Amino acid sequence: MSNNTIIELKHVNKTYGDTVVLKDVNIEIERGKFYTLLGPSGSGKTTILRAINGFLDVTSGDVLFEGKRVNDIPANERRVNTVFQDYALFPHMNVFENVAYGLRIQKLPKAEIKTRVKDALHMVRLDDLADREISELSGGQQQRIAIARAIVLEPSVLLLDEPLSALDAKLRKDMQYELRELQQRLGITFLFVTHDQEEALALSDEIFVMNDGEVQQSGTPVDIYDEPINHFVADFIGESNIVSGYMIEDYLVEFNGKQFECADAGMRPHEQVEVVLRPEDLDLTAVDKGKVTVTVDTQLFRGDYYEIVAYDGAQNEWLVHSTNPAKDGETVGLTFDPEDIHVMRLNESEEDFDARLESYEGE
Amino acid sequence: MKKWKWSNLYLIFVFILLYVPIFYLVGYSFSAGDSMSNFHGFTWQHYLDLFADTRMIQIVVDTLLLALLSSLIATIIGTMGALAIHRTSRPVIKNTVLSMNNILMVSPDVIIGASFLIFFTALKIPLGFLSVLMSHIAFSIPIVVLMVLPKLKEMRQSMLDAARDLGSTTTQVLTHIIMPFITPGILSGFFMAFTYSLDDFAVTFFVTGNGFQTLAVEIYARARQGISLEINALSGVMFIFALLLVIGYYFIQQGAQTRKAKHKGGETL
Amino acid sequence: MKKSTTNAAFYVPYGLWLALFVVAPVLLIIYQSFFDISGHFTLGNYATYFQSGTYILMTINSVVYAFIITAVTLLISYPTAYLLHYAKHKQLWLLLIILPTWINLLLKAYAFIGIFSQDGGVNGFLGMFGIAPKQFLFTDFSFILVASYIEIPFMILPIFNGIEELDQGYVNASRDLGAKGWQTFTRVILPLTMNGVKAGVQAVFIPSLSLFMLTRLIGGNRVITLGTAIEEHFLVTMNWGMGSTIGVVLIIAMFLIMFLTGERKRKGGRA
Repeated sequence: MSNNTIIELKHVNKTYGDTVVLKDVNIEIERGKFYTLLGPSGSGKTTILRAINGFLDVTSGDVLFEGKRVNDIPANERRVNTVFQDYALFPHMNVFENVAYGLRIQKLPKAEIKTRVKDALHMVRLDDLADREISELSGGQQQRIAIARAIVLEPSVLLLDEPLSALDAKLRKDMQYELRELQQRLGITFLFVTHDQEEALALSDEIFVMNDGEVQQSGTPVDIYDEPINHFVADFIGESNIVSGYMIEDYLVEFNGKQFECADAGMRPHEQVEVVLRPEDLDLTAVDKGKVTVTVDTQLFRGDYYEIVAYDGAQNEWLVHSTNPAKDGETVGLTFDPEDIHVMRLNESEEDFDARLESYEGE
Repeated sequence: MKKWKWSNLYLIFVFILLYVPIFYLVGYSFSAGDSMSNFHGFTWQHYLDLFADTRMIQIVVDTLLLALLSSLIATIIGTMGALAIHRTSRPVIKNTVLSMNNILMVSPDVIIGASFLIFFTALKIPLGFLSVLMSHIAFSIPIVVLMVLPKLKEMRQSMLDAARDLGSTTTQVLTHIIMPFITPGILSGFFMAFTYSLDDFAVTFFVTGNGFQTLAVEIYARARQGISLEINALSGVMFIFALLLVIGYYFIQQGAQTRKAKHKGGETL
Repeated sequence: MKKSTTNAAFYVPYGLWLALFVVAPVLLIIYQSFFDISGHFTLGNYATYFQSGTYILMTINSVVYAFIITAVTLLISYPTAYLLHYAKHKQLWLLLIILPTWINLLLKAYAFIGIFSQDGGVNGFLGMFGIAPKQFLFTDFSFILVASYIEIPFMILPIFNGIEELDQGYVNASRDLGAKGWQTFTRVILPLTMNGVKAGVQAVFIPSLSLFMLTRLIGGNRVITLGTAIEEHFLVTMNWGMGSTIGVVLIIAMFLIMFLTGERKRKGGRA
């Protein structure tokens, strides 16, 4: 634990009867960074959030705040604040009173409350709405008031539970920029929960990918995108072609009946593996120049690229993003560079995965 | 946890408060004495007296028949009213009708009784079974409307549109889609109407003549003359009856809830 | 259009009911209040009501009793409803609350005649501590107690529904923002369940104004409410005009309470 660590979850488990919601979760969160818990619904990400803000008792394990165990400290005494998924703005109070709520609880002087509410509203750029009723606000405005209500208390960690999920696509994009900017301006830690991988990649300093109550992989967006640890992560984040194959030796992998040079090492010879190739790393070429031969089935124009679905001789599907169109039914070659190949071992733990990467990338 | 125990203690205290008079009443129905003091040893005598009291039996039967008939008719008219209100699109009319619907809900019993008495006298309707029946129907209709309306509101327009899109006529939409959907509301309405009728004293007291008595009116008359443990025995019978009714109502509710839970099941987790 | 014709058909019986049993009786009672005992048009009933001190005093009395009954009921019911919401088998508890309302009101009143009588349950209980028998029946105390007892379920149910409707998210948000249990209760839970409280007050206060059976059986004619007076005029002295006048007063009181406890839309600013 570095002294920058502010929140730590150690071997946290949560079960309801026979249902396991969290399985040995270990998370470390540092001061001033933007973290994201990413995973499909039911993967346990909101459960982690609730273990941190105090609305959930974990079955076993420790929740640490600045090194002290806080499992038994009630929610109202924890120095984290939350932006709830449905905002939970109090309908019987106006905007000002909502934002002032936590300050009034602390019984601060009126003048101070006034300035701090004003500052918080300014921070979310809604200076003029102090006197509005909650019912008069748009979804985007409610969202910002919910943020203002939480940050006015100057928490060291702000938890955000899918705060953008209720907004339409355009507003979502705008709010992503704002959230990122806000986090940088405030310099406090954000722990953001989402099931939207694009959102996670765009916003985060670090991502925890969750599935079935387990942290599958944690790391920077680039690490996770380029070097997914397993099938689930590769599939959930970005689009990918995943084929099974064999590791012949270090830096040589076999799939689709051929051997290819690659950038991965540290596995047993002839170990069964999965190979990830991102659609944007595949290029269309003539059949004789291609490493894999496929027949184009359908293509969709996506604006800045064509999304092409093609099948190889063994009826494996290949997804290709190409700037140039192809013809339906045309047989073409696919080519890629050795470093575009990412090899994944089956059932590798994150610890082993990190150690292995370290061993050969360090060379 | 400490808190848990204290809160339960309070709940238990309130429940004792609620049930003490009832158990007191039923308890003395087994007392060999003739007043509600000093339990004099167990006897079924008061129950035997009760079942031998043909006047009382007749009144109980009349009361039940009245409740059944009035709640049935009130349910039919009330459901039609709810359907009509639901389909009314102009908010002014809708709100006016709803406010008028609620007048009888909040009116004190004496006002309902007195005004109905004036009404029946003005129309020269003789006071008796008919006037009591009409009154019971009248004060039960608004509760049926209030029970059915939320169910209608819960129903999504797209569901009706889908039925029409698939070729249903207006009548078919009503019988195939709307009626099954609002049935729980109609049943609750019927049950409420039934209890309203059974429980009423004041309105009946005003509009009934000499020829027709309901249980409540009869008890009032007897209670003013003093304590008769036959009434306690009647309470015992009524308590069992109420218990059965409440259990019946509970199962209707539970049925509706498990159905709801099934709907939601897919979304959670 | 076909829809409108079926709709009209649905409106016929219901509309007939509205006209005959809602509108007509109210109009009739107002009309009747302008006639004296021998059937002549008069304003005398209203003059009597406002000039003779007894009617005004009776009205004030009635309101005071109703107020006390409502307050007692509310004080017992709110905590009950609140605890009920967090109780484990709340559907079962709720059922137990409803059950007493299915026992005829008269029977419950009758039970108290026994409990409060000279040699009844309460005096028997006090006797164990060596306290001499006291007169409970036919006192203000017994009237208020029995009335409150009867009204409790009608107060608990709307409050319980109000608390059930309260989104737990607001409670969590309040705790998240640092509020303790009591602070959350006074600042969030109570204001947000006010509608349930108002509905409960409506359901209890108005009937309490007009109880007449209890005043006779338990209050022993010592307590006279608006309801008792109406019953007296209609069924005993046969002075329907005066009875209707008091009825009109009661109707006005009813609308006043509806207005005071009704939902009002707040416009801007703090209330």
